[in-house]
Amino acid sequence: MSAAVFRSLLADGGIVTVTATRRPGAPALAARMQEVARLARHTEARHDSREQVVISMDRAPGPQERDWELAVVLADRAVRGLLPHAPAPAPQLALGWSHDWQRGRIDGHDAATPPPGALLGGPRHLRHLGALTGQPDVSAAVSSARAWFPLHSGGINDSLCWVEVSVYPLDPGAAPDDEAIAAPGLDSARQHAVRQALAGARHFDGETASRWRTTVRFGQDGLHGNSYELALVLADRLARGREFRPRGRIIASGCSNAWHAGQVDAVEGLAPKCALIAREAAAGDRVLLPRAWEAGLPPGLRDALRAKGASLACVERIGII
Amino acid sequence: MMFDLFRRMARAPAFDGAGLGTRLLARPVVSGCTLPPGTAGVAVDRAGRTRRTGAGGRIALLEGESGWCFHPGPYGCDLVPFAAAPEIGLRLHFAIDSPDPRVSQQRFDLFLASEAEGDLALDAFAARIEDALQRELAQGNLDLPPCTTLDEWNAFRAGFNQLLYTRFGVTVDDCVPVDLRPGRDFAEALRARAVHDAHEPCLGKEEAPAPATLAAKPATPSPATGAKAFDPAAEDARALRRLFLELPCLMCRVRQAALPSGQDQFRQQQSLLQRLDLVSLAAATMPALGLAAPGQPLGADQQLRRARHSVAAVGALDEAWALLARFELAGDRGLDVLFDDADRIVANLEHATGERKRVLAREEA
Repeated sequence: MSAAVFRSLLADGGIVTVTATRRPGAPALAARMQEVARLARHTEARHDSREQVVISMDRAPGPQERDWELAVVLADRAVRGLLPHAPAPAPQLALGWSHDWQRGRIDGHDAATPPPGALLGGPRHLRHLGALTGQPDVSAAVSSARAWFPLHSGGINDSLCWVEVSVYPLDPGAAPDDEAIAAPGLDSARQHAVRQALAGARHFDGETASRWRTTVRFGQDGLHGNSYELALVLADRLARGREFRPRGRIIASGCSNAWHAGQVDAVEGLAPKCALIAREAAAGDRVLLPRAWEAGLPPGLRDALRAKGASLACVERIGII
Repeated sequence: MMFDLFRRMARAPAFDGAGLGTRLLARPVVSGCTLPPGTAGVAVDRAGRTRRTGAGGRIALLEGESGWCFHPGPYGCDLVPFAAAPEIGLRLHFAIDSPDPRVSQQRFDLFLASEAEGDLALDAFAARIEDALQRELAQGNLDLPPCTTLDEWNAFRAGFNQLLYTRFGVTVDDCVPVDLRPGRDFAEALRARAVHDAHEPCLGKEEAPAPATLAAKPATPSPATGAKAFDPAAEDARALRRLFLELPCLMCRVRQAALPSGQDQFRQQQSLLQRLDLVSLAAATMPALGLAAPGQPLGADQQLRRARHSVAAVGALDEAWALLARFELAGDRGLDVLFDDADRIVANLEHATGERKRVLAREEA
């Protein structure tokens, strides 16, 4: 593909640059690109006909290749500012294709050995577009949701880490067992803690019989402390369809001595965690911190978050008001 | 013979008001019949003008008018603010207000004139409210975040009350968050999806479906695609009627509510009103759905395309009502954002009505 650039002068004295690029005969590809972007837009809430987006590729993929579809969809969203949470090192490598873009689903990717750090679509990776902000897929039989929590590990390595809860309905009458809540990859002590927190929070919900087979995954290994618990409990409530949805991500820090009463207790590391949240939060995010932190919040944090379009609440209990 | 005629004139046609005030909000009536106590009548003429009637129990319609009988309520319903969270909801109690003497037309009367077809059932009305609520939440115009604080709840309630008053003409008596769990079980819904997914042929794989499913398919359309067939002619007519009736009223109220606070905003408001005027004109002079030119029929696929654009225009119209509610609540705060949103919505209306007018899609023209 080659490009020709010419310049011309407009009436206001400014230079206008005209770029012509040649695309060697791939009308089917262009049609598919447009179709993919348009179908994926069906999952957006806000339509704006004033905006025009031009998407192009610098090389033509082969006629059977489809892994570029996810990149097209993400580019179409990012250029309109709809992906404020997109990972920082741009351009991100994204691989994935779908037969179902109008429902925001991503069916898979073809690359056999994708490079590390790539954003992959497919059943065991990014399953649908809403998952970028942790939202459950409204058409999938397995409901899974994510929430983020600040991971404090000595300043420079501080980061937001996600916890993902996937629930699948148990057959009615199936005997509840300990394995109904699984957290693969965690040591047994932490598995026990995860089970305790979820069982307590579900008891607070009035969940008498166990209805779910649950899988919990964390974005990083080597957790310490228990400040992930509030994020875990909220992701679980989101996955079970019992929590109001934020437009962006849930970012939460907090633990509890009494999840069965829905109570939220303070954790350590107020200052570094607040600094991290102030840095990482993006438009639409919902930040939830323990009520005990309210007096000690850094001045201006609330306003800084509001200016970004995120909101902050200090809570002493989970659940409806 | 004579005797028969007199008897027919004297006897008012019976009106069946069963269900009004409980599962029905309104029901069409014919002239001369007696309204049940506690209800009110609305007459709608062919141009969509409305008037309240039926004082004294009998409804008298003029030539060309159709009549409605509605019960002011109160009514109660449960709403799900987020489709992805079906177990947590809002319990809403609302009523159709007594007429506001300051306005020339009650919003609920306009709703009846423009959107009601046959009986207006409570669950259908609740579904419309839920749609409006979900869209406003998804767009971020109303906020109902996890662990809502009291201040946030009050802000949400103010916006929601205004939305329902401006969009539907009903007033909210009470609205509280509720646990919908005993009635709505998310686990059941997920199980149903799993069953559905198992039966749906996977598009990704080129497998020949078994003959049994192939034969069974036309009889049972899959719930995802064939639940509600899209009838272009009916949808288009409904959409154009709404645009024709509601755009003038909307403009009138935008003029009152969106008061500019400076020269620039004044210009913005003027240009918005002007553009809305043109959209309204375009809606009123829209060419027939099925004709490419006088006497020249249009292909079915192009009719479908046109109807989809009409429906998109009505979507923008709904957003415009919601935006009007925000204008009415805002006073003079944050007007810049609202004017920008108004610009977007009017652009969408212009785009959709322009595409509806076209004979061929843009690429083919």
